Amino acid sequence: MSSVKMSTNIFWQDCPIGKLDRQKLLNQKGCVVWITGLSGSGKSTLACTLGRELHSRGKLSYILDGDNLRHGLNKDLGFKVEDRAENIRRVGEVAKLFSDAGLICIASLISPYRRDRESCRALLPDASFIEVFMNIPLEVCEARDAKGLYKLARAGKIKGFTGIDDPYEPPQNCEIQIELKDGVCPSPSDMAGQVVSYLEENGFLHE
Amino acid sequence: MIESYSIVNFVFIHPKKVNCKNTRKANSSLLSLSFSLSLSLPINGLRGRSPPFPPPPTSAPSPIAPPSASRLRCSGRLLAMNAAASSALPLRCSPSPSAPRPHRLRLGILRVHRRAAAVARICPVGRGSEGLGAVVRSGALRRRVMAAAESRMGTGFVDKEEEEAVVAGGGVETSGMRSEGATVAGINKPMMSTVGRSTNIVWHECPVGKLERQKLLGQKGCVIWITGLSGSGKSTLACALSRELYCRGHLSYVLDGDNVRHGLNKDLSFKPEDRAENIRRIGEVAKLFADAGIICIASLISPYRQDRDACRAILPENAFIEVISSLHDAICNVFMDMPLEVCEARDAKGLYKLARAGKIKGFTGIDDLYEPPLDCEITIQQKDGVCPSPAAMAEQVVSYLESNGYFRA
Repeated sequence: MSSVKMSTNIFWQDCPIGKLDRQKLLNQKGCVVWITGLSGSGKSTLACTLGRELHSRGKLSYILDGDNLRHGLNKDLGFKVEDRAENIRRVGEVAKLFSDAGLICIASLISPYRRDRESCRALLPDASFIEVFMNIPLEVCEARDAKGLYKLARAGKIKGFTGIDDPYEPPQNCEIQIELKDGVCPSPSDMAGQVVSYLEENGFLHE
Repeated sequence: MIESYSIVNFVFIHPKKVNCKNTRKANSSLLSLSFSLSLSLPINGLRGRSPPFPPPPTSAPSPIAPPSASRLRCSGRLLAMNAAASSALPLRCSPSPSAPRPHRLRLGILRVHRRAAAVARICPVGRGSEGLGAVVRSGALRRRVMAAAESRMGTGFVDKEEEEAVVAGGGVETSGMRSEGATVAGINKPMMSTVGRSTNIVWHECPVGKLERQKLLGQKGCVIWITGLSGSGKSTLACALSRELYCRGHLSYVLDGDNVRHGLNKDLSFKPEDRAENIRRIGEVAKLFADAGIICIASLISPYRQDRDACRAILPENAFIEVISSLHDAICNVFMDMPLEVCEARDAKGLYKLARAGKIKGFTGIDDLYEPPLDCEITIQQKDGVCPSPAAMAEQVVSYLESNGYFRA
């Protein structure tokens, strides 16, 4: 019996079917691909393309998109520092559950603070946390301004917007970095290809 | 007030092929193209609830289309195309039954690629964005456009499967329309919504959806919600069930209340509000699992009827399901109808003893109430005063799943 933080008198329930069994069923290894970067850097685009690419290879993946989750699980959270931290903590815990279920869980969130990302990394066992940094410069993201948010942020209509008046702390040792090649952004399929190669080389695409 | 609508059909009336070396000439020849557009107005009181009205799946009609959707027809001409930021083109719309007064539509077009001019048609763009695009067809130009779009020199999207280069993005905005529902649309100008405290969020659509995952797994995702007193056998059933499913080659995952309280819900206590939040969060996560195509087995006391009903309500109402257009998501409520005496006699975790001694306060069944379900799909009961074995209980649930088609994609 243990007490974990606020939950007292709880027990860990073991189950006969575990992660290894599920991985055998799916013929893949569960992991978390954590895509981080500024707003408009292409995280959701990469997530979708990657999901499609994995699906075409018969691998089961699931996308946890920051915005989509804020419609459901995290709808009680705002964008203050504490709320961002809780948002990321919850997504990390859910991603861990998905990875335990044997899926390749693709989490796509700005996740600007290094400490929060590192604590998610700590949740997951043996190298199954794969951090993908969308190293796209602010000017490019702002020029795209796919959702019109940079404009609003510059006009002062949105406060605490990452990249404008809230910091983004880039990862110091991420597994994959997506960056401009000769000043040009890679296409979605190239970016997805980069991630799939990594997964393949590190044995995640078979059990 | 600006509202947006989802685009159902957009057809060029006079498609024109244009030879383009000169950007200005190309753009101006596009300009006289006329088109017709029909939109679907969802009018079912979704106001303030956001997520967007999804584009209907190509293979099957959406079974959860809002009941009183109506069509709005309008026609117009592309009057100006601006290679810079968004420009809005006024369109004239003919009145329709839902909108008896004439009204205006604005078609926003963002950043037409300089070289794109041989426009074959304007089409709805589905992957990762919604709205309109112009499809470029003719040979050499198409190759150049595809290369340019791939290198992100314009707003573009290249659909490799269809071998089409889509180069213009656009959205449809309307103003002055009477509408009862919240609506959605527009690519590159996606609709912003606010849900709870999350402001300025956008729904991201994705190409691989629930149906594809279900096909891959050969099963339908669902949530099996096991409720009952402490010690009534919920976790035992959950494990037996997951083993039974695994032996049949089905992917399941157990969300055990206690286990989740070690991770996601470790910041929650057992006060009523925290129990409610515990259940809400597990419901949301279970929904994600069901969406992923997994048979999610949630096993937790969940004593309050209101909280369990709230989880049941999340699944059909929430747009996650709507987006994937599935009717087969369901919560099966399995009620462990074990009498309190039996649970207490088992006292597998020694908790009843502590509760009776007053060492645990607010313990369900002793000094906190348990509200049994009024209407659940499966009831596990004693047979002639004897508890069924775990395997027998699992078999009961598996039969239910089988006869209700969950083992088919």
